[in-house]
Amino acid sequence: MVKLMKVETLLGSIGNEVGSEAVEELLRRTRGRVDKALKHIRRPQAAVGIVKSPLGDLLVAMSAGGVLLNSYLRGASDLEATIQKLRLAFDPIEDQRTVREVGAEIRRYLAGDAKALRQKVDLSLVGTPFQKKVLDKLQSVPRGALISYQALGAALQAANSARAVGNALHDNPIPIYVPCHRVISSDGRIGGYAGGAARKLQLLRSEGFELNTAQARIPDSVVWGHKGSKIYCRRDCRTAAHVDRAQILFFADPRQAEGAGMRPCKICRPG
Amino acid sequence: MAQQKLLLPRPFEVIMQRHEREIMRYLLRVSGDREDAADLFQETWLRAYRAYPGLEPQSEVRPWLYAIATNLCRNRFRDRARWAAVVVPDREELPAADMIGKNHRFDHENEGYAAVHVRELISDLPTRQREALHLRYFAGLGYGEIATAMDCTEDNARANVSQAVKKIKAKW
Repeated sequence: MVKLMKVETLLGSIGNEVGSEAVEELLRRTRGRVDKALKHIRRPQAAVGIVKSPLGDLLVAMSAGGVLLNSYLRGASDLEATIQKLRLAFDPIEDQRTVREVGAEIRRYLAGDAKALRQKVDLSLVGTPFQKKVLDKLQSVPRGALISYQALGAALQAANSARAVGNALHDNPIPIYVPCHRVISSDGRIGGYAGGAARKLQLLRSEGFELNTAQARIPDSVVWGHKGSKIYCRRDCRTAAHVDRAQILFFADPRQAEGAGMRPCKICRPG
Repeated sequence: MAQQKLLLPRPFEVIMQRHEREIMRYLLRVSGDREDAADLFQETWLRAYRAYPGLEPQSEVRPWLYAIATNLCRNRFRDRARWAAVVVPDREELPAADMIGKNHRFDHENEGYAAVHVRELISDLPTRQREALHLRYFAGLGYGEIATAMDCTEDNARANVSQAVKKIKAKW
């Protein structure tokens, strides 16, 4: 029995004669090597925090290049999944101070300050090249204008890609900053929004569109303009029947259309 | 909506600071060699960093780290055994000769011999039993943690350790 006891004691003691100093010494020698090797595979850091906005709580992440993530929070599991995705490319560091500015900009923007959104965007978290192209292109649609899924696809030389465009927008990691709320159905329906249709309406209202809370279509005051001819028309203009919908942008009012370099139609005389 | 709480995983640096000592000690004890331990230490942290995004925030870090370290040890000693088998045909003497005087200073000659002998017996164990034994006695993990590290049930971990100890006692 004595002998049997000894085996366990011995097992516990094997290698243990290496004192703490020896471990420390080895650590000191090895640490620099490990840090150097880690440097090569380091993921960049991202400041992460939750900001409050009139549109609800947002999970915001920022890299050195700009806003990476600005995501409507729907629940704990959603939050976790979003962070897991972020972690694949970035090392998240909680930093409320860095992200706070994003919340402040969104508040000012919704209050009517058209130039409030100053942060750059970083599209690193965008999944596919097509999706990146869609979001890139979308950034050229200004405040006060709308584009259809179809027209956005056509602008990318991808005809009949309205649904693919819709999917790309659904996964937009940076809503508000990348204005996926400015994309509607080509027939004038407001369409869906990953953050919920109510938020889309709220954003569009703040950009000058007269929409009430449950409205499903853009109002009659909206004019449409043809990107090729640079002419804008009323919604009920008879030319609408045979115009290529892929070439159309919608504007909240004639002033916005003229701001985009368009002239009024001589047939329907808008404005 | 209720106030959401942001639960980020710990920064990797914190994990390293917290566990580097025990991992180094474990590798030293398993390998019995400083250079091997230093190499394995570096590999363990590089691999852990790469795999860290895949570790869910609520899972335990400690058994996960030991699992990485243990896998690396297995690969290294498998390769070494292959190499040794070719170069030095007489494997009987090898582990003992290898250990003596390298890192094992013992006041007692007898104790020193016992340690070497036990090491030999351990290296003859089947892989799973040997690893379970390492995790139990060299890392001091609980059976629950061993189960997590070896991806088996707790009963299974317990059985592996007790089988290993039994075999060593039988040959003692």
